[in-house]
Amino acid sequence: MKQRASGGLLVLPLVAFLFVFLLYPLCYLAANSLVPGGGVLEGRTKQVGGWSAGQWLQTVTLENYVKLFGDGYYLSSLLHSVVLSLAIAIGSVILCIAPAWVLVRTRFPGKRLFRAVLTIPMAFSGVIVGFMIVIMLGRWGAIPAVLHWLTGEAYLSMTAYTLSGLVVAYIYFEIPRATLTLEAAIRKFDFDLDAAARSLGATLWQRLWYVLVPLLLPAIISTVALAFAVSMGSFGVALIIAKKFNLLPVDIFLEITGYANFEFASALCVVMLVVTLTTNLYLRRLGEKHYVFKQR
Amino acid sequence: MRLLIAALVAIIPLWPHGVRANHFDAKAQAEFKAALEDAKKAEGTTLIGYDHQPNYANWGGVQKFFTDKYGVTWPPDMKSSVTAMAALIAEQPKPQASIVYYNAAIGSQAAERGLHEPYKPKGWDLIPKEHKDADGRWFNIHYGTIAFVVNTKALAAAKAAVPKCWSDLIKPEYKNLVAYDDPTVQGTAFDAIFTALWVHGGSYDNFTPGIEYLKKLHPNIISYNKETSYNPSLRGEIPIWIHADGSGYKMKHHDGGPVEVVIPCEGSTVFPLNVALVKNAPTPRLAKLALDWLNTEEAQRVFAESFFRPIHPGALTPEIAAKMKPLYGSYDGLKPYDLPQKVKMVDAYKKAWIEQVRRAR
Repeated sequence: MKQRASGGLLVLPLVAFLFVFLLYPLCYLAANSLVPGGGVLEGRTKQVGGWSAGQWLQTVTLENYVKLFGDGYYLSSLLHSVVLSLAIAIGSVILCIAPAWVLVRTRFPGKRLFRAVLTIPMAFSGVIVGFMIVIMLGRWGAIPAVLHWLTGEAYLSMTAYTLSGLVVAYIYFEIPRATLTLEAAIRKFDFDLDAAARSLGATLWQRLWYVLVPLLLPAIISTVALAFAVSMGSFGVALIIAKKFNLLPVDIFLEITGYANFEFASALCVVMLVVTLTTNLYLRRLGEKHYVFKQR
Repeated sequence: MRLLIAALVAIIPLWPHGVRANHFDAKAQAEFKAALEDAKKAEGTTLIGYDHQPNYANWGGVQKFFTDKYGVTWPPDMKSSVTAMAALIAEQPKPQASIVYYNAAIGSQAAERGLHEPYKPKGWDLIPKEHKDADGRWFNIHYGTIAFVVNTKALAAAKAAVPKCWSDLIKPEYKNLVAYDDPTVQGTAFDAIFTALWVHGGSYDNFTPGIEYLKKLHPNIISYNKETSYNPSLRGEIPIWIHADGSGYKMKHHDGGPVEVVIPCEGSTVFPLNVALVKNAPTPRLAKLALDWLNTEEAQRVFAESFFRPIHPGALTPEIAAKMKPLYGSYDGLKPYDLPQKVKMVDAYKKAWIEQVRRAR
């Protein structure tokens, strides 16, 4: 009994922290999204959040959401964000599952260094990754410059500003997240099952496809969910390199810094949050369904 | 004779100073320093301002000069005109900044939105009428001209000639070689699209010529950057940047870049930049003194090192003026406009640009 009380006390700082820095801002965001909007382009002068509870009740409106869902532009931004993030999440898992396997199952000199290098992209903010992509794959990036030197033609020039550039940049910063999460999952994997498959004469491909993937599917799906959430929210990369490809986080940035339409930006945030959360919950549920064996 | 001399002596202080703002003499400087010391005691030694990008109009040099000479820390701020205005709207009634610098069109909008405290700095009468708000809500400190900032090395690598005209930029050979910043975020970029309108015969309510031109330019655009493109342009990532002439001269003369400035053959427009005291400023005394200082030749000379033309002509030394020579074009064909009328069209023109250029497929 005493122990339980002290355990509760230990949780308290985190609860307090989450209340102040997560719950309160989210409630504010939701409330603010129901206040009539209008940015500087509509002649805005009034400050943000200058409403009291009474005023809020009087002015509460769904007009921001009506605008959001009535305007094909914002719907296309939402669609782009979801499709891009899902594709990135699945792509990065496919790319990272083998390195994660190698990290668990093999010993080789410099393994620690290899793992440390893999985590480097996590240390960079999106804006830095965006600039990196421009330097590597921009109009006169390092890669086109080398290709030009080799072949006389600057292949891959301008890739940074295209959808492919966005994909490269997003995968770049998903690599450490996906690798580390998958590594942890593979570590828990019962390798006796793999050894049994091998002694029965299964090929590498068979072992991978019939033993490893089904058993790891829950972990794979939860990695996809994590990578999806990170990609949805990442805007630094898109801010630097997305030219014609509109994404929701960049729209939110423009609504706030360009148009000072904080209420409409709040509505965009709420929609993005709801979409990310429901997709995430759905994916995690899917992962739980695919447990082949009950947890021991 | 004695009477005449006495009369002359009496007249000298009354003599209109005319074009030279030499009101910041030794005595005025001593008074300024004393007032600054008092203000520092009351408000501390840090002055926060918005939209002070170190690579824009030599803000970096100005802040260093001010800190070294007067002991007030005046840190850089990477906001642009529009984001500065948005921040001031968001932060009222308790803004973080005391002083703000903008593109004049945006700064005038901000003034009309009640974000400034009227303040007429020392030497107010020396500012030409068109460079100040009658109510003291803002005044201009210098102006730039919209130009093509051309990285000649990058253009040569792309086997394209240096463009001379607006009509050159829309040719297919300039595909992926041109950029201007996002005009809904950056003030100078707004003047880039305004100039595209103005030289093509547009007016305060007819945006079609500008939008039609910018639509034709769209396929050649690398990207509409939300942050300043100063470094990508210097590096050659952006061979042709439609921006302030001063940015190009700074790259050429200070950063040693292979950069030239072209004033387009169809003409261009100038755009002033203004400063203001923020309403409910946290350090109003420091801000007022800084505004006094910004209206001196001393301050505007430091700005002019970055090749923005000072409002007080005496602040432009012949050496600096001699370096402001475009490779093609001249400053004779600049097209005038009426600032108050331009201010009224800013929002509508931006909206037209968003709908018809940026969001167009």
